[in-house]
This record gives sequence, C-alpha cells and structure tokens, in this order.
Amino acid sequence: MNPTDTPLIRCRDVRKSYRKGETLVTPIESLHLDVPRGEFLALMGPSGSGKSTLLNLMAGIDRPTSGVIEFDGQPIQDLSRGHLAAWRARHVGYIFQLYHLVPVLTAFENVELPLLLDPMPRRERRERVEAALALVGLAHRMHHFPRELSGGEEQRVAIARAIVANPPLLVADEPTGDLDRDAADSVLGLLRALSRDHRRTIVMVTHDPRAAAVADRVLHLEKGRLLEGAR
Amino acid sequence: MGLPLQYAVRNLLRDPSRLAQTVAGSGLVVLLVMGAQSLNHGMRETLRASGSPRTVVLLGAGSEESIQRSEIADRAAGIAEASIAGIETVAGRRAVSPEIQYMTPLHAAGRLRRSGFLRGVTPAALLVHPDVALIDGRFHGPGEVIAGRLAWKRLGVRPEDLRPGSTIRFDNTDLTVSGVFAAGGTVMESEIWADLNDLRTLARRETLSCVMIRLQPGADPADAELFTRQRLDLELSAMTESAYYEQLARFYAPVRALTWLTAALIAVGAVFGGLNILYAAFASRIREIGTLQAVGFGAPALVASFIQESLLAAMMGTLFAGFAATALSDRLTLYFTTGAFTLSLTPVGAAAGLAAGLAMGLVGAIPPAIRCLVPPLPQALRAA
Ligand SMILES: Nc1ncnc2c1ncn2[C@@H]1O[C@H](COP(=O)(O)OP(=O)(O)OP(=O)(O)O)[C@@H](O)[C@H]1O
Ligand SMILES: [Mg+2]
Repeated sequence: MNPTDTPLIRCRDVRKSYRKGETLVTPIESLHLDVPRGEFLALMGPSGSGKSTLLNLMAGIDRPTSGVIEFDGQPIQDLSRGHLAAWRARHVGYIFQLYHLVPVLTAFENVELPLLLDPMPRRERRERVEAALALVGLAHRMHHFPRELSGGEEQRVAIARAIVANPPLLVADEPTGDLDRDAADSVLGLLRALSRDHRRTIVMVTHDPRAAAVADRVLHLEKGRLLEGAR
Repeated sequence: MGLPLQYAVRNLLRDPSRLAQTVAGSGLVVLLVMGAQSLNHGMRETLRASGSPRTVVLLGAGSEESIQRSEIADRAAGIAEASIAGIETVAGRRAVSPEIQYMTPLHAAGRLRRSGFLRGVTPAALLVHPDVALIDGRFHGPGEVIAGRLAWKRLGVRPEDLRPGSTIRFDNTDLTVSGVFAAGGTVMESEIWADLNDLRTLARRETLSCVMIRLQPGADPADAELFTRQRLDLELSAMTESAYYEQLARFYAPVRALTWLTAALIAVGAVFGGLNILYAAFASRIREIGTLQAVGFGAPALVASFIQESLLAAMMGTLFAGFAATALSDRLTLYFTTGAFTLSLTPVGAAAGLAAGLAMGLVGAIPPAIRCLVPPLPQALRAA
C-alpha cells in the first residue's frame, strides 16, 4: 500500500464535550484532520484550546462525543474501554510531560511493561528492552530506579517504553515541558531521529516553538478548531 | 500476561507503616476467627462430653440450673436407693453416689490459688462415673483427695504440685493428694475429689448437693422422676446428667453467640480499616494506574495485581496470627461454673483462620480497585 494513500489517522467531524456541572464544555468541535504515515506533526495552541483532548482521542485514551476517528482505515471511536486498552497496547506509545514512570520499577522494568502484554520469550523481551534503552542512550542506567535518574533521563526512559513494542503511532504531550534546554534538545533530537531514521508517525503537543520546529508540520488549535500554521 | 509479581511486592513495601497496619489488621481478624472458633469448640466439646443419659442427678427442686446451689437432705440418698427401680449394681454395690459440689479458693504449692472445684464423694462415686479412672496413686481416704488430671491448670500451679504426696489446704486443714484421675476428657478432669464426710465438716454443711445414680442399661430415667413426685417431702428434682449438661450448654449458647458477635464486630472494624488503608494506597497511585492503562493494561490485569498485593498482606497477617495462635494454643484456660477448658488451635480453627485471611485478601482489594479504575482515563492521567 502506498503510504501516502491512506493516512494513518483520519478524524472526521470530531466533537468532544464534557459536562462540567450545569455547563457543557466543548474543547473539540467539527474537527477534520489527517495524519499521514511517517509524519511528525506538532500541535500548538493556547492553554485550554483542546490539544491534550485531541491527542487523547487519537491515542485511544478517550472517545469522541461524535464523529469518526479512523486508525489505519479502522474506526476506533466505538471500541469499548477494554478493547481500547488492548488496541493501545498494539498501536500507540504515549509520552507524558511528567514522564509517568512507575516509581517502584527500574528503567529496564518500566520499558519492559508494554512487552508483558503479549506472550514473548523472556530472552527476546530482554533484547528488545536493551535495544530500546540503547537507542535512547541509557543502556548503562538500565537497573536504576526513576528517582535515581534526572528528568531528561526519565523522559528518555519513557520514550524507550513508548517505542519498545514498535507501535505505529507515538504521541507526546508536551514532552519537553518540564525539562531544561539541554535535556529538551536531547529529547527532541531523539524524536526527530525516530521520525527520520525509523519512520515513526509522531503527534506532539507543545508550547515551545523550538520543539515545533523539529516537526514536519505544525497545526494550531484555537477554541477547538484547527488552523494550519506557518512552517 | 499481566503485571509482574514484583510490582505488587514493591508496592507493598512502598509504605512500611501502611503495610504494618494492613498486616496487623488482617492478622487480628484471623486471630479473632481462630480464637472464637476455639472458644466455641472447647465449650461445646467440654459440655458435650460431660453427660451420660444413664446417670440420673437428683437435686433440689428449684436448683435445676446449678448443682452447686442445690441442697438436699442427707437421707435422700438412702431413700432413693431403696425406691428407684433399675439402679446399676456392681459387685453387689448399688451405684448411688451422694455428693457435695463446692467451689472454694484453695492453697496449693504454698499459696492461695484461684478457686478450685471440690467434689465430696464416697467410693460409690466410681460406680456412678465410669469414665473416672485413677492414672496415678490410689483412691482417697479421709484427709486425702484425688486430683483430676487438669486440676493443676485450674489452680494455676504446675502439674507436679498436685501429684500424689503433695498437699493442698482448705481453710486450715491440709489434705494430701493420694491419686490423680482421668475422666475421659470431661469437665471432671479439672476437679478435686475429697471424702464426703471431710467436705461436710470443712464446708460446714449438713446437706448434700445432689445424689447421682447410675441406671442399668435400658432402665427408664422416668422412674427417678416418678420417685421425686411420690416423695414431695424430699423436694427433689430428677434429670439425667446429659440433660443437665445440655441445659448448661443451652445456657452458654448466648455466650457462644456473643463471642462470635464480638469477634465479628471487631473483624468488621478491622476489615473496614484495612479497606480504607488499601483504598488510600491505591488512590495515591491513580495516575500511575492511569499510566499502566495508557500503556495497554486492562482492568483485569490491574485488578489481578491489586489482589496479589492485598493477598500478600493478608497472608502475612495470617502467618503472624498462625504463629500467635500456635504460641497461645493450650496455654489459655477458661473457667466457667462447671469446669474449665483450654483454648487450643484445632485444624478447623486453623482452616477457618486461613479462609478468613484468603477471603480478606481476595475480596478486600476489589472495592478500592473498582474506585481506582472508575475515573475516566484522561482524568486519571492528570491526577497529581
Ligand atoms: N475531563 C474533563 N472534564 C471537563 N472538562 C475538561 C476535561 N478535560 C478537559 N476539559 C476541558 O477541556 C478544555 C481543553 O482541555 P485540554 O486539556 O485539552 O487543553 P490543552 O490545550 O491541553 O491545555 P494545556 O495547554 O493547558 O495543557 C479545557 O477547558 C478543559 O478544562
Ligand atoms: Mg494539555
């Protein structure tokens, strides 16, 4: 199949609203969006514009109130919570602003988590975890607990966890938001390499123009609607 | 495949004080279940083993609930022996035993002890209580007593303090132990038997507590009852020994129910305390639980891990309770009016405790787990 033919993600007329007491909040409204395979897309926009909400919809973390979200041609908006969990395991690696490593597990064990969802020989699992950690440059910190790592290192471990099972989509919600410049650069370099050299599809939410500059395309969300941004 | 066991183990160790509370709470519940079971079992067994349907007790009308409070005329024994049909005869002697039952503090091993249960008897007592057999020494004569196998426990002395040759003192009179008897596990094993005439003098009473009569097999206990109605002047009431103990057991049924109720109430408190702690433990990890869901773990895998965690804590508690119960087993003796029994950990008690521990571990994790899995995932991921 020609990768440019079907986009990896198609959002059609997507709407998400929350009930907040009496009022209805609608962070996402009549949204259309295609993310082609292999694209590195950056989402920008003011706080509260619905960036995280949109990211969560594409990552199968949340379900739209209405509209269609197709992943690889398959609609996912109607999957049950349990099916979505299994779907996420195969299709999405999620990178959080605050890393969200499990504190009682070592770097190795954190990265190993997604591989525990499928039967796999222990040896193969170990090799893949080690390869992922080597890719983010942390092979030597494998047996350290998150509290023994710096923020930048934690985020790189989180990236290793997101890529270890080879999901077609990586999503990142302000992955550099909590990092200093050097650590941010190393995380961005890593994401760029994953996009260029490993042809991963990446959707990244960011406030930081330097981060957005790494992406292939930048979109701006404004009150739940998309505006094409200047490169 | 689910979350690794070490995730559950390390989560437990995350907060040692929380772990200690969970372990202590579940241990307490398990110990209570074992204790209540043992208490009930002991009470039931002691009372159950303690009566023969062939033994009739003649006691004072109106004192049917307590032999010790009963007073009957001395002559009742002779009259009953002559009047009641079907009395067992052994080697030419009728199995009729006039008895005084008396509770009093006794000196043993040199100082005043808890109250002992004294029974003044004649040699005919052995005909009426066939379970009683001397296992050491000989039957007592005047100025002597024989001690039940477990009487030392009741008095709080060592077994050797009631061996033949030792003395006990009642008021200012020394009585020599001449023998030790077993009584087939009945309450009599914690009694001390003395000479009937000695006890009359020592207790300063002219009346008997009761007359016990052993009937021939097949004889009708109703004859004894008929006798009491024919001799209203003696003011007697007749009941079989088994009926007497059944009535005692009925009397203690509310006590038994109360022990279960108390145990249940404390257990419920401990279970809710434990649930609260577990809930707090899981609630503090809402974001982490959200992250694991984002990675792809479903509710079943997470619930399984929660259960592993609570089961581990509950089993640690059960283990401690098991050690405590084993250490206490056979050491705690409880007394009630007719005798004493010792709390011991029975297989049933151990099984009940284990079942309680397992149930707590399995069920205890579920309510907090549900509460942690209910919030929508985006919300959980934003939690602090
Ligand atoms: N679970 C929810 N219940 C109610 N309202 C919500 C919920 N989640 C998000 N919202 C609202 O939706 C709007 C968009 O939120 P969202 O988190 O997507 O914004 P954002 O663009 O990621 O903002 P930020 O840059 O601050 O992270 C906000 O007004 C937010 O209050
Ligand atoms: Mg956001």
